[in-house]
Amino acid sequence: MDRSEALELILDHYHNPRNHGEMEEADVTLQGGNPGCGDIVNLFLKFDGDRLVEITFTGTGCTISQAATSMLTETVQGYTLTEIENLDYRLIEELLSAELVKTRPKCSTLGLDTLKTAARQYQHSHR
Amino acid sequence: MNNYARPDFLVETDWVAAHLEDPQVRIVESDEDYLLYETGHIPGAVKIDWFTTLQHPVRRDFLSREDFEKLCSAQGIANDTTVVFYGDKNNWFACYAFWLFEYYGHRNLKIMNGGRAKWAAEGRPLVKEVPQYPSTHYHAQEPNEAIRAYRDEVMKHIRERRPLVDVRSPQEYSGELLHMPNYPQEGAQRGGHIPGAVNIPWSKAVREDGTFKPPEELRQLYESQGVRPDSEVIAYCRIGERSSHTWYVLKYLLGYSNVKNYDGSWTEWGNLVGAPIEKSVQ
Repeated sequence: MDRSEALELILDHYHNPRNHGEMEEADVTLQGGNPGCGDIVNLFLKFDGDRLVEITFTGTGCTISQAATSMLTETVQGYTLTEIENLDYRLIEELLSAELVKTRPKCSTLGLDTLKTAARQYQHSHR
Repeated sequence: MNNYARPDFLVETDWVAAHLEDPQVRIVESDEDYLLYETGHIPGAVKIDWFTTLQHPVRRDFLSREDFEKLCSAQGIANDTTVVFYGDKNNWFACYAFWLFEYYGHRNLKIMNGGRAKWAAEGRPLVKEVPQYPSTHYHAQEPNEAIRAYRDEVMKHIRERRPLVDVRSPQEYSGELLHMPNYPQEGAQRGGHIPGAVNIPWSKAVREDGTFKPPEELRQLYESQGVRPDSEVIAYCRIGERSSHTWYVLKYLLGYSNVKNYDGSWTEWGNLVGAPIEKSVQ
């Protein structure tokens, strides 16, 4: 995928976010946000044991924060808590490109940081 | 059009629409949202990003004079080009870019009132084509330090009890807001404000549609808090973008003669060892 194709995919996720919406039966819901620039994501996670079986999100904010969260939700369906814990910014670089992550590191990792915190909350509440 | 102090530095959307093909005019979009330009922009507009383009690549500072010259030359901006800035977030970064262009001596500058949101709300065209302009040989001036404040100057300002305007939200000013749940706020180790600063959030200078309030309302807003046209004023926020907005209001809409933007702002002050801080909450 060249740069313009990658950009088109990101903008498509922004305009047509995947896994978008609230989830009533979620095991954990969490809001993450960056008050500096107004990006907000709300994550809704449903687990089966230690496996993430469904993830949805809502949110407002910049193209990168919302597109990255949309792309993230497609990627992490089926991940275990351990696999989520081991995720880091390199996943977002794979999804968005390292170049783009460098331009707005906080915005691009907002969804990931919120996911990791939500997964930890779930883990603590189910020990 | 308006009775602001320096009306030539502000244009309306219809003025921009009438100058889309004007070779003497370069329209520049400067957003916080890095990819917003790519979703569609004013026909003929070029993109200047505050973070990837206007910053020094290594140290915390702006791009060098030489790099500023390269940037302008590559965007087809000549020394006599009229540069019109617009952007998202009520023109925060449009004002930031405007301020930096003035810092390097560009003279013909304008802000499009209401920014990108107003243009879009009026149903005006947004296109994806990225324009190419013949390059120029731009010559920048020495930095104009009369519009930029550094931390030592802020310390002096405190001692001399000169006006400091904190344009952040009341929660940031009070020290209540340093972190939002689950996501650390960027930058500062400490919350609060610079001693003696008055809190006049940037947002009080605009109407709901993002256009600037009329001059009499603006005058009342600042003078009622002791920020007077003849005073030496320093404005600050978190990283200098919202305070660029207030700097523009004070200098160009109200005609204040001596206004500086402290671009180090709270991300510097709130991390500065030993710097005095006031808090309204514990």
